[in-house]
Amino acid sequence: MSQSSEAPIVELDGLSVGFGDKTVIDGVDLQLRPREIFGVVGETGAGKSVLARAIIGLLPTGGRVLAGQVRYRGQPVSTMGPEDARAFRGGKVALIGTNAKALLDPVARVGDQIARVVRSHERLDKRAATARAVALMREIGINDPERRARAYPHELSGGMAQRIVIAMALAGNPDVLLADDATLGLDATVQAQVLESLVERSRERGLSVLLVTHDLGIVRHYCDRVAVMKAGRLVEVGDVEPFLAAPANPYSRELLDAARARPTLQRPLAEDDRPPLVSVRDLTMHFAVPGSVEPIRAVDGVSFSIAAGETLALVGESGSGKTTAGQCLMRLLDNTDGRIIFNGRDITDLRENAFRPLRRNMQMVFQEPYVALNPRWRVRDLLAEPMALIEPMTSAERARRVAELLEAVHLPTALAEARPHELTAGEQKRVGVARALATKPSFIVFDEPTTALDIRVRAQIIDLIRGLQSQMNLAALFITHDLNSVRSLAHRVAVMHLGKIVEQGSTEAIFERAEHPYTRKLLAAELPVDCEPLPPGDIAA
Amino acid sequence: MRVSPRQFWRRQPRLLRIIVTRIALIVPQMFGVTLIAFLLIRLLPGDPARLILGNFATDESIALYHQKLGLDKDVWTQFAIYLGNVLHGDLGTSPFTSKPILDDLADRAPATLELILFAVICTVGIGVTIAVTSVVKKGSAFDWGARAYGFAAGALPDFWVALLLVFFLYYMLGWAPAPFGRVDMMLTPPPTVTGFLTIDSLLAGDFEAFRSSAGRLILPILTITIVNAGAVTKMTQTVFAEIWAAPFVEQMRACGVPERQIIRAALRNSLPPIISVSSFILGFLLGAAVLVETIFSWGGLGQYAVQAVINSDYAALQGFVLVASAFILVVYSIADILYEVVDPRIRT
Amino acid sequence: MPSDAPIRSSFLRPALVIGLFLLALQLIAIIFAPWIAPFSPIEANPIDSLQTPNAIHWLGTDELGMDIFSRIVFATRVNLLIGFAAVAISLAIGVPIGVLVGYYRGFTGALVMRFFDFIQSFPVFVLGMALVAVLGQEIWSVVIVLCMLFVPMFSRIVRAEVLSLRERPFIAAARCSGAGDFAIMFRHILPNAMTPVIVQISVSIGMAILLTAGLSFIGAGVRLPAPEWGLMVSSGAQQMILGVWWVALFPGLAIVFSVLSFALLSDEAKRLLDTSRPGVRR
Repeated sequence: MSQSSEAPIVELDGLSVGFGDKTVIDGVDLQLRPREIFGVVGETGAGKSVLARAIIGLLPTGGRVLAGQVRYRGQPVSTMGPEDARAFRGGKVALIGTNAKALLDPVARVGDQIARVVRSHERLDKRAATARAVALMREIGINDPERRARAYPHELSGGMAQRIVIAMALAGNPDVLLADDATLGLDATVQAQVLESLVERSRERGLSVLLVTHDLGIVRHYCDRVAVMKAGRLVEVGDVEPFLAAPANPYSRELLDAARARPTLQRPLAEDDRPPLVSVRDLTMHFAVPGSVEPIRAVDGVSFSIAAGETLALVGESGSGKTTAGQCLMRLLDNTDGRIIFNGRDITDLRENAFRPLRRNMQMVFQEPYVALNPRWRVRDLLAEPMALIEPMTSAERARRVAELLEAVHLPTALAEARPHELTAGEQKRVGVARALATKPSFIVFDEPTTALDIRVRAQIIDLIRGLQSQMNLAALFITHDLNSVRSLAHRVAVMHLGKIVEQGSTEAIFERAEHPYTRKLLAAELPVDCEPLPPGDIAA
Repeated sequence: MRVSPRQFWRRQPRLLRIIVTRIALIVPQMFGVTLIAFLLIRLLPGDPARLILGNFATDESIALYHQKLGLDKDVWTQFAIYLGNVLHGDLGTSPFTSKPILDDLADRAPATLELILFAVICTVGIGVTIAVTSVVKKGSAFDWGARAYGFAAGALPDFWVALLLVFFLYYMLGWAPAPFGRVDMMLTPPPTVTGFLTIDSLLAGDFEAFRSSAGRLILPILTITIVNAGAVTKMTQTVFAEIWAAPFVEQMRACGVPERQIIRAALRNSLPPIISVSSFILGFLLGAAVLVETIFSWGGLGQYAVQAVINSDYAALQGFVLVASAFILVVYSIADILYEVVDPRIRT
Repeated sequence: MPSDAPIRSSFLRPALVIGLFLLALQLIAIIFAPWIAPFSPIEANPIDSLQTPNAIHWLGTDELGMDIFSRIVFATRVNLLIGFAAVAISLAIGVPIGVLVGYYRGFTGALVMRFFDFIQSFPVFVLGMALVAVLGQEIWSVVIVLCMLFVPMFSRIVRAEVLSLRERPFIAAARCSGAGDFAIMFRHILPNAMTPVIVQISVSIGMAILLTAGLSFIGAGVRLPAPEWGLMVSSGAQQMILGVWWVALFPGLAIVFSVLSFALLSDEAKRLLDTSRPGVRR
């Protein structure tokens, strides 16, 4: 979809931006053409967000333009006076940021917030501006906008909040949208719907969109052209289809490879009648809600079992109860009802003191790598703590074991002296894995091991877990919403929705022949890099 | 369909629910405060009878006095009697002023309230203005000055600042009136309506009395404001700076909303902590006013408390502690209500 | 996102230097008071009453003819030791209470917190006056009053931290690693809860100095002739209106600088401890 004949709307000319003595954007040339959707892909720290902010002229504190300029329809943005610059932001170029809930004023009604933007760009009275806000909300696909307009942000779901932010961006009738990882953190089905309506509105209104993302799937499905960003530079720019087919730059190739699913696990499932290692029957966890008679049924009668050496993926969106189920299994929560049997022993009613010796056989890798590590402890002590569960050790033995563990997760032994904040997210995740391995358990719960990681780090963690599975004959419960990693890591899949397992089966069966409508909806919302896109009708379903 | 009490409750307007909840909380809190005020004074060493009657009193007269005060009964009976008296508005009689303590307190309360209410308005107004300006103009000379002030003000003893102000503004420059009471002794005070001399004199159309009473307020209010606005500045700076850096402020800017509107929205978001801190300062000043009142011969509750301490007049002290705590409780409850009203995120 | 906002690299900022310098001065005054002070701090000398600052009496004399400079130096002992003692005792009592009440959240804990609520809802100053009046005008009475104020404060700070920390995933992770309640409370939670406590220690010493001085000023603290800053300001209060400024001015300055030094140190402590605090790097 090349439109090189038309003059670009936004043009970056050798733009460099620095923070202190560090250059974050390094000589970027870029043309955003009318009506095109342009993807910028890169990992954390590549400078993507700064790029979007530089275009709108709002660099984060401490940032300044070192060289080059941004032009909007030929006019350098830096030459605008304060009032022109204000009218330009939102009136010509609008920004949609990450984490929509934080982008909304928590104590103002959302309708008023949109109206505030409308009135910043047009002389309208309050009533007319509110009417316009409601119209925008309807346009972006919000049902019953009159009622929703009176809601406060905390009363909205993440997807709804993101739609409000999009409506705010459209309120000043801009002709360029900058979407900075706008759907990050949303559930896949919601992400697909939000992106769909964003792209649809933009095409209708003839807007140009700069879609900043770390997800190559999004690029594949929605963008016309793409640029790959690394360490402040654009390493490759081109049309999407040829790029995906044959990326020219080695870094682009690396990214693309990392984003692809691994081949299905080699070891076929043992079909014999071994007793399961872990067995959960009718697990139920209800939380009392203050001020309400009805409890939240986070987990509502879930049954599954896992054989030794087998990995079961528990898949579901946020709020499906999958993490709660994992925590009940680890006895971090006292389940309301149901039985948990581990290695033939009913552990449901064991008190903490009686259960502690069993913990050496059951470990957990926690979701967010940083917050699951005590920030005041050194890696060495974090790894040594669970060893007390095995047997008394001398400090020399402990040090040797720490070194072994670090090696097992491919970390340099020097990191033993580091504290968690000195590690990268990938390293933190590995320390979390190493800690779970310290007691040589036979069963591990992995809670969202691939979430919030960059493409390549995510691929590395997947490979690490695959290695451990085959070397240690480890049984695992793999809690995730990332379908791509399920393909690479699980023998079997259980799909969870609103506290219940709606479908269970082998990985192939679920991906090839899903029966439950929810499973199908989930699969349809996935934006894989390497499959044919599904027709849009399925996504909306 | 039958409506359960819980459902009925949830259908009431939010404001009503907030207020009713708070008022229901005041009762047990007041009970607790009364208990502690009672225990503090009653269980501490020292025999009030001996203090009142002096060291040469006979054992019989002391026993008689004990009986009169009910001190011969056990502690809980004493508390029950005390509580009953308090509920009837009887806080006892001061042996030194020979008047009911409640009357004594009521006579002096307006002086203190006038002082601390005006002082709180100035303190919060000035503190918040300085803080917001310094955050918006971050890094400017004003910002540095504001931060230095926020810091230094916390180290100033109010009684010392009051003395310095008296020395400079009264003794050296003669700009401020003498630190002797609420109004010039040569003037007849206006008829009491609200008890606030400034307002009463305006109501009476007595501008001379108004000038005098307003003038007498300047030094004490200046003292309190200088010392306490720093704390408000510091606190508001922290809160407002955090909100000023919040993503939603950046988003408003990215949408081209004018800066004035953004400041307004950010200030609206900082309101809950500002409300808490204002109520805290109001409560704190009731105690801190003791020092300022003493220096300016204000004749309010604070000075009454000092007299009570000097005279070992425990009944009066107990009465003061009780009334002061009740006042603080009411202030905090109002603040809590406002806090919940301005923050829609709080579930009620 | 650019998490690399410019970090202040200089370890020794002026604020820290000034704070440490003022603290050092005070410690020197405490230790070497008898050698520094040229006169006795408690000996009245009516002949030399109310002398303006001069070569012999550097900061002048008060109504009783006592040397103001000598009294200020000796008062450092009284004021700071009251502050140190009150804060140390309050820490020893308040921090464990805060940890236990925050971790176990039982009925007893709720009761303790209610009790603290009531104590804190009394006007601080009046409570102090009443207690000192009853306990007697002794140094230890003042310390007890300060403890009644600080114990609830430290408990509350620690409890709030513990309440939020105990829900953090690293506590669940520690439990999975076999840590028991005691280890979780004192090895995992407490070290993470200490930053606000350390910041508060310095602030509290400053508060203690101000309160002690205030109580003494209205005659509900330390008694004459003991050298104490607030008492000294008080002895000059009456003359201030008559233009005798030095009696009240200098001890007041001593209070200001002393409290300021602790405020500076507390702020710097917050800054220094912050650098090792959470901040995700990717």
